[in-house]
Amino acid sequence: MNPNQGRRWVIVLIMLFIAFIFIFRLLYIQVLDDKWSNRAESITNSQEVIKPARGLIYDRNGKLLVVASQVYDIWVTPRKIGKIDTLELCNVLGLSREEFDKKLQKARNYASYKASVFLEGVSSSDFAKMITKLQRYKGFEIKVNTQRGYPADVGAHFLGYIRKISAEKYKKNKEGGNDYYLMDDYIGITGLEKVYEEDLRGKRGKVKYLKDRLGNKKAELEIDYAEEGKNLYTSIDLDLQKYGEELMQNKIGCIVAIEPSTGEILAMVSAPTYSPSKMVGRDFAKNWTEMSKNDSLKPLINRAIYNSNYRPGSIFKLVQALVAMQSGVITENTGFPCNKSLIGCHNHEAPSNVRIAIKHSCNPYFYQVYKRLILRGEKSNIFKDSRIGLTKWREMVTTFGLGVKLDTDIPGVKSGNIPDTNFYDKWYGKNRWAFSTIYSNSIGEGEIGVSPLQMANLAAILANKGYYYTPHLVKKIGEDGDKKEKFKVKHFTAVDSSYFIPVREAMEQVVLNGTARQAQIDSISVCGKTGTVENKSFNDHSVFIAFAPKENPKIAIAVYVEYGTWGGTWAAPIASVMIEKYLKGELSEKGKKKEKRIKEAVILTKHSDFKH
Amino acid sequence: MSREQNVLKKIDKPLLLMYYALVFMGLFTIYSSSYNEEYPEIYAWSQPYGKQLFWIVISSVVGGVILLMDSNFIKKTSYATYGVVLLMLVVVLLMPPIKGARSWFKIGSFSLQPSEFAKFATAMAVSYYLSGINIKMQDFKTKFTVFVLLAIPGGLILLQPDAGTLLVFFSFIFVLYREGLSGNILLGGFFMVIIAVLAVFLKASESMGNVFGFEVEANYLFAVMVVIIGGLIMLIIKNFVLPRYRKARYKLTIWATLISVVMILSVNWAFNNVFKDRHRSRFQIMFGIKEDRKGDGYNIYQALSGIGSGRFSGKGFLQGTLSNEKYKHVPEQSTDFIFCSWAEEWGFVGSTLLILLYVSFLIRIVSIAERQRSRYNRIFGYCVASILFFHFMINIAMVLGLAPVIGIPLPFFSKGGSAILSFSILVFILLRLDAGRTEELY
Repeated sequence: MNPNQGRRWVIVLIMLFIAFIFIFRLLYIQVLDDKWSNRAESITNSQEVIKPARGLIYDRNGKLLVVASQVYDIWVTPRKIGKIDTLELCNVLGLSREEFDKKLQKARNYASYKASVFLEGVSSSDFAKMITKLQRYKGFEIKVNTQRGYPADVGAHFLGYIRKISAEKYKKNKEGGNDYYLMDDYIGITGLEKVYEEDLRGKRGKVKYLKDRLGNKKAELEIDYAEEGKNLYTSIDLDLQKYGEELMQNKIGCIVAIEPSTGEILAMVSAPTYSPSKMVGRDFAKNWTEMSKNDSLKPLINRAIYNSNYRPGSIFKLVQALVAMQSGVITENTGFPCNKSLIGCHNHEAPSNVRIAIKHSCNPYFYQVYKRLILRGEKSNIFKDSRIGLTKWREMVTTFGLGVKLDTDIPGVKSGNIPDTNFYDKWYGKNRWAFSTIYSNSIGEGEIGVSPLQMANLAAILANKGYYYTPHLVKKIGEDGDKKEKFKVKHFTAVDSSYFIPVREAMEQVVLNGTARQAQIDSISVCGKTGTVENKSFNDHSVFIAFAPKENPKIAIAVYVEYGTWGGTWAAPIASVMIEKYLKGELSEKGKKKEKRIKEAVILTKHSDFKH
Repeated sequence: MSREQNVLKKIDKPLLLMYYALVFMGLFTIYSSSYNEEYPEIYAWSQPYGKQLFWIVISSVVGGVILLMDSNFIKKTSYATYGVVLLMLVVVLLMPPIKGARSWFKIGSFSLQPSEFAKFATAMAVSYYLSGINIKMQDFKTKFTVFVLLAIPGGLILLQPDAGTLLVFFSFIFVLYREGLSGNILLGGFFMVIIAVLAVFLKASESMGNVFGFEVEANYLFAVMVVIIGGLIMLIIKNFVLPRYRKARYKLTIWATLISVVMILSVNWAFNNVFKDRHRSRFQIMFGIKEDRKGDGYNIYQALSGIGSGRFSGKGFLQGTLSNEKYKHVPEQSTDFIFCSWAEEWGFVGSTLLILLYVSFLIRIVSIAERQRSRYNRIFGYCVASILFFHFMINIAMVLGLAPVIGIPLPFFSKGGSAILSFSILVFILLRLDAGRTEELY
């Protein structure tokens, strides 16, 4: 036998020893320690965001107001650009040399090694032109985004706009625990886009996937689908809105039309207006600066809600009459002499009851009505008596949605002003004011402030004989959705519906034989009230509220034309053609004449000169 | 006719079975690691698995031919085979380089790698030489001749250059040990490896020692320490060893100390002057001195992630997410790093099974070698076991991060026609010799 035969066992032992080391090592790598399998996951797993399409916005008849279209953002990483023919690139991008340099400098200031937005919102057609050439340049990448489009080109003020989330807002959101938004997300800044942001934006999805060495997606692990943004079905009547904007061209002011039975806003025009598409895409900054800084007419302001310092003028007499009757200080048949020594008035038949007083908008009548409301004789001291009277009066007036913020879906609504005792205490000092100090309020002047939205709501209250639904713009959130619950709540005023009957009849008379004959429509009974808001040293403002038809009203409207002088001059005819257009679809001959006159008028300066 | 039946009857079935088990496990791993959805058939000609299957068939055919040969004929052609392969190794150096190495003959879409054939040819030549009459392992001439037989193909392969394959020639030390080479040399070799690894570690970790306020490289201190230990051992020998043994022990200690010091100093020198940056960082990564998942450590980082992600029971066939053509996170998933694919798909259970199967296969070869009457047969058997074991050990140690990255295939698993053919020839020659063991006298 071979003397070295025993050595086979040495060799076999070495083999077993090595195998043992390997198995032990494998046990450690694969089973005991999860370091390597965690590392494997970080090598293979990746995820990306699925952006949902933003909801569309429709009018009440299903016509599109706002669409979402695909656009392209061009991002740049300055360091990657290298040497290029800058002029040629400018041509490709459609930029001037200065613009190009400015944008590139901005990107460099952000970070030269990181990508940042260079050109935002390039339209599909522009993009198609530049893509083939752009591909030759290094450092530029393309990201798809959605952008708003406005096929109807109306309603800029209430629709609002979206922008890429600002750095400050992004940070603030993060700190506040709201980590939904990403750096390149768009967010509603104003209008419906802001109020219904969470409905419109939808919910972002996420896909977790396995990637290969080069980062290509190879297999999907888990998909959290994006929820598409909900479409908004607004109460706006596109045709009416468009028509209102046409009428208000070359004027300053606004129109608000409401469906009284629901509180749904049919039209909301603020003039001067602007095309909503100006707030989209590359020229946003330029347009915004132009409109907010350089345009003295301030087109960005939504006058329908914002100018709460608009005084209502004579239309406020309607409220005074109702509150007085409810308070029992007058009846519908109470008469007062038209005593021009109290307060100025024009010549008209004696105001022997509420109806006649409203029909002729008699100032001394409402001076005396307001006096009875403020000085009720509960205290002998007129200062103290005025305090009690003012408080009781205010309590009732605010039930008309005046002096309070309407909880609507338009951002930025103002409460207006129905002064209370604090207000006057601050102004004059406690017990240093009485009726004689504040009598201007009686005819809607003085310290009364009412936004046009509130005026329109007042018209709706009159149409409804005593109640209103908070005016709102959206009647349905999503295809199968509903409006917000708060818009289904009936708000009753403190005035019984019976007191509305004489006031409504008076309003009919205002149009038939009174100050608003310009508002007549042949086949429709319109009830209205003019207001001429004093504007010292300049032309007065022209105000008119109305509803129609008298029975079963379909529309309530408020029109405010700055520097338009008498309520009957511009506001009333504008309201009447709006009503006629809405109820009839087209205008009568008489209506067409009014329309022509309105469209030709230019009332833009404080001293507007025009023929009545 | 009767003799052929005899051969087939006497074939070692367990070995043959394990051989095919490994080969087909390998084929399916290649299938999975380079799976192409457009060509799902395993015989898809254009795909790596189709090619591998083709080479498996070729190997079986060649294996069949070998089984039909006469044992003596095989033995007698040992030197001739060796000579032909040497010629190929010379000619291949004249070929145009592929990936920086002149290692391949390219014929159409196939390439032959003669360095693979050098493995079995050298095994045959060494077996033939050592089984000669009056050859004694103790003779210096014997050792020298074997060294030359190994050095010629080794040197030619180094010229290609292909350091990984060269390493395989060190595996013959097991053969020589079995044939009577002093155990001290095996032990010494093992000892030297440890000394070298320690020296590399000290160098790679940039260790410094402090001697009387002077910064000294740790390896110099290491060498001094080795000399001191050598001296201590001499003292022990002087006091505790019988006088008649002392001279031999002194000699051994002096040689060991001297070689150790030379080893330490040359490693120290080579690390800075011969190694390239990537070699240096590979060592640093291996020792865990630095972790580098992007640069030089990328391969091993990815490989370990792939293996680790298999967890206990694996992801399942074709379910890997790192070590395959689809994901490509692990480099060379079909060749040197094929074990990753297997370990990822079959987990700890599968990898343990593979290692046990492999070791059983190797141990079976050792037992077969031991039952031979003929020295040639036994030596050749040990050659087969040693070559395969060396490949297995270095390849798996590499993918497990226990050895630096050395390009060496896992036999029967790694993709490569020449490799599987060469390994199969080794196995089939052994099967043929074993089947005919009773007919032979020497």
